[in-house]
Amino acid sequence: MNQFGTILKFELLSYLKNKTFLGITIFLVVVIAAVMFFPRVSGIIIGGKDKDSSGQEIVVQDEESPVMAILAKDPVQTKLVYDAFSASFPDYRILLPTDGLSDVKEQIISGEIECAFVMENLTSYTYYVNNLNMYDGNTAIADETLQNLCRIDALSQAGISQETAAEILSLQINHETENLGVDQAQNYFYTYIMIMVLYMAILLYGQMVATNVATEKSSRAMELLITSAKPASMMFGKVIASCLAGIIQLVAVFGSAYLFYNINKSTWGNNPIITSLFDMPLYLLVYMLIFFVLGFFVYAFLYGAIGSTASKVEDINTSVMPLTFLFIAAFFAVIFSMSSGNVDNMVMKVCSYIPFTSPMAMFTRIAMSTVPFYEVAISIVILILSVFGIGIISAKIYRVGVLLYGTTPKFRAIIKAVRKA
Amino acid sequence: MKLELTNIEKSFGEKEVLKGISFFAVSGEAFGLLGRNGAGKTTTIRILMDVFPAEKGNVLIDGAPINYNEIKIGYLPEERGLYPKKKIIDQLVYFAALHGMKSKEAVKAADYWLERLDMTQYRNKRLDTLSKGNQQKIQLITALAHNPEIVILDEPFSGLDPVNAMLLKDVVKEEIAKGKIVLFSSHQMSYIEEFCSNIAIINQGEIVLKGNLHDIKHNYTRDKLILRSDREDEILSDLKDISSRTETGEVLIQLDSPDRKREMMQYLTEKYDIDELKVFEPSLNDIFVEYTGGEEKGGEKE
Repeated sequence: MNQFGTILKFELLSYLKNKTFLGITIFLVVVIAAVMFFPRVSGIIIGGKDKDSSGQEIVVQDEESPVMAILAKDPVQTKLVYDAFSASFPDYRILLPTDGLSDVKEQIISGEIECAFVMENLTSYTYYVNNLNMYDGNTAIADETLQNLCRIDALSQAGISQETAAEILSLQINHETENLGVDQAQNYFYTYIMIMVLYMAILLYGQMVATNVATEKSSRAMELLITSAKPASMMFGKVIASCLAGIIQLVAVFGSAYLFYNINKSTWGNNPIITSLFDMPLYLLVYMLIFFVLGFFVYAFLYGAIGSTASKVEDINTSVMPLTFLFIAAFFAVIFSMSSGNVDNMVMKVCSYIPFTSPMAMFTRIAMSTVPFYEVAISIVILILSVFGIGIISAKIYRVGVLLYGTTPKFRAIIKAVRKA
Repeated sequence: MKLELTNIEKSFGEKEVLKGISFFAVSGEAFGLLGRNGAGKTTTIRILMDVFPAEKGNVLIDGAPINYNEIKIGYLPEERGLYPKKKIIDQLVYFAALHGMKSKEAVKAADYWLERLDMTQYRNKRLDTLSKGNQQKIQLITALAHNPEIVILDEPFSGLDPVNAMLLKDVVKEEIAKGKIVLFSSHQMSYIEEFCSNIAIINQGEIVLKGNLHDIKHNYTRDKLILRSDREDEILSDLKDISSRTETGEVLIQLDSPDRKREMMQYLTEKYDIDELKVFEPSLNDIFVEYTGGEEKGGEKE
C-alpha cells in the first residue's frame, strides 16, 4: 500500500509538472474565459432582442442589414408583396430594384444583395441566392406570407372585410406542455458535451497510460522498477494517477467555465443554449463523475496492459487500435441514438449493461430519458465488478508483459503466460 | 547473514532456463556470478529478487525462506535506464521511497550518495543531459541509497572511465566492509578476481564450477613455471623441449610433474639472471573459457 502511494504521488506529480498538460489546461481555461467574457467585452446583448412596451419587436435596420430584392411585373402586386415581406422579414432591408433580372443576379453574386424573389404572380416565384445556406428558411416564410395574402384576398372577395379575414387567419392557439420526464431538447446540449468530454478524456488519458508504460519499458527504467515495486502497485498507481489528473483537468476547465458564467450571467441574458448548459442538475454531474471514473478504469487498465506488451513506444499505436476502435464504436452508437431522439432503443439498452459501452450509453439514457433506478444500479454494479476483473487481469498481463522484449507477443502467447503466472 | 539459493529451476515455455542452480553468499563478502550471455544469470537474479517465482527451489536467508519485506535488495541492472526526462533528485528519491524510505530520509540518502560519487552538481539536472558514465553513477545510487543488505551489481564497470572505475571500486569495498552481501555479475574477470572471494560459473542453466576462487586456482596442477628474464632467448633454446613463449611475452616452462618444481627453479636461478619466477596459476579468464568455452562441458569440478 505504501508503494502504491509512492507511485501514485510520483505519477500524479509528473502529470501536474508536465508542461504540455499545464499548457493545454491553461489554454482551455483561456478559451473558455474568452467565450464567456465575449458578450460583456463586445457590449452586444446576445440574450434575445429588446422589446418595447407593446411587445412589438423593435428592429433597427441599418446599412449593415442584409438586402433582399423583390421583382414583380404588376406594380399593385409589388406594393402588396413589399408590405407583407417587410413585416415577415424584419431583419432584411427590402429593395425594389428597377434593373433587370440579370443585373440583380450579378449583384447577388457580388454580395451587394443577399437574395431576390422574382414574382411570377402571387402564387409562384423564383428565389435567387448565391450560396444556399443549410438553415435558409426564407422560402418557407415567403410561402406562408404569400399564402396568407392570397387567403385574405380570397376572403375579402367573398365579402368578408380585410380586418376580419386577417383576424381569422391569425387565430392563435394557446398550449402548454407539462413534461413529466426530462426535456430532451434542453438536455441535448449538455449531454452532448458531457459524452464528448467522456470520450475525449478516456481516449486521451488511456493512450497516455499506454505510452507511459511503453516509455518506461523502452527506456529500460522498467528493469529497475520491476525489482523495486509490485506490478499490481505500479499498474494501479499509474491508472489512478492519470484518472486523478483527468479529473483535476476537468474540474479546472468546467469550474472556470461555471465561474466565468456566473460573473457574466447578466450579459448572457436568457441565451437558451448557454443557460441550459449551466442549468444542469446536480445528480447528473454525480452520475457523470461515477461513469467517468469507472469507464476510465475499464479502458485505462486495458491500455496499460497493452502498453506493457509493446517494447517500443512506436508499437503502441498499432497495439491499441482494436481497443480504440471498440471505444469509437461505442461512442458512435451513442451519438446516433442521441440524434435520432430515441435513446431507449434496443442497442442502447444492451449497451448500457456492457462495461465497455455502458459509461456512455447509460449516462446518455439517464440524461435524456427516464431510466428506472434499478437499471442504473445494475449497470453500475456490472461496471464496478468489471473494473475489478479487468484490473486483476491487466495487472497479470502487465507483470508478464513488462519483461518481454523484442517483437510484440501474440495474443495467445500472452494468455498462456498470464494463466501460468 | 547467509543468502542461499537451493536447486532453483525455471523454464519459459518449452525452454528450460535454469536447471537446478545452488550457491550461497555470506555477509561481508563479494560473490561473483559468472556466465556467458544467455547462460541464465539475469533469470537467477530476477528469481532472487522475486520478480517471478521459480518452479522449484528456494531462496533462503540463514536457512529460512527470504522475507522481502525485511531484507532489502539493491540492484544495478545490466540494461541501464531511468527516466531520461526527469530531474535526477526526484528519481533518486522516488526509487528510495519505493524501497520503503520516508521521503526526508530518501532525500538525505540521495544527497549523501550524490556527494560520495561526486555528482552533487547534477542534482537538479535532467538525466538525459548527463554523459553515459555519469548516468551510470546515478543508476548506481538507486541500487545503494536505500541501504540494502544485499547489493546486486550486474556489469557495474562497463562504460566507466578509469577514474570512475576507481571510485566505484572504493564504493564496493566500503559496502563489503559494511557487512553487506555483494553479488557481482560481470564479464570483466579482472574485477571479479579483485573483489570476489567466492564465485560460481553458470553455463546453460547449470553451475559448472563454484567455490573459493583462491582454492580453485590452487587446485590446478602446479606443474608449470612462468619466468621473466633478460636472457629469455637463451633459456628458450636451453629448454626448447619444454618451454614456450606466452601471449604476454613471458616464458612458460612445462614440467613432467609438480614435484620437479623446486629442482627446476634452483637450476634456473643458479644459471641465469632471473627477474621473476613463479608457479603458473590460471587466471579467472582461463578458467572461465575452459568451463564455458565449447559445447556442453561435462565433468563437474566442485
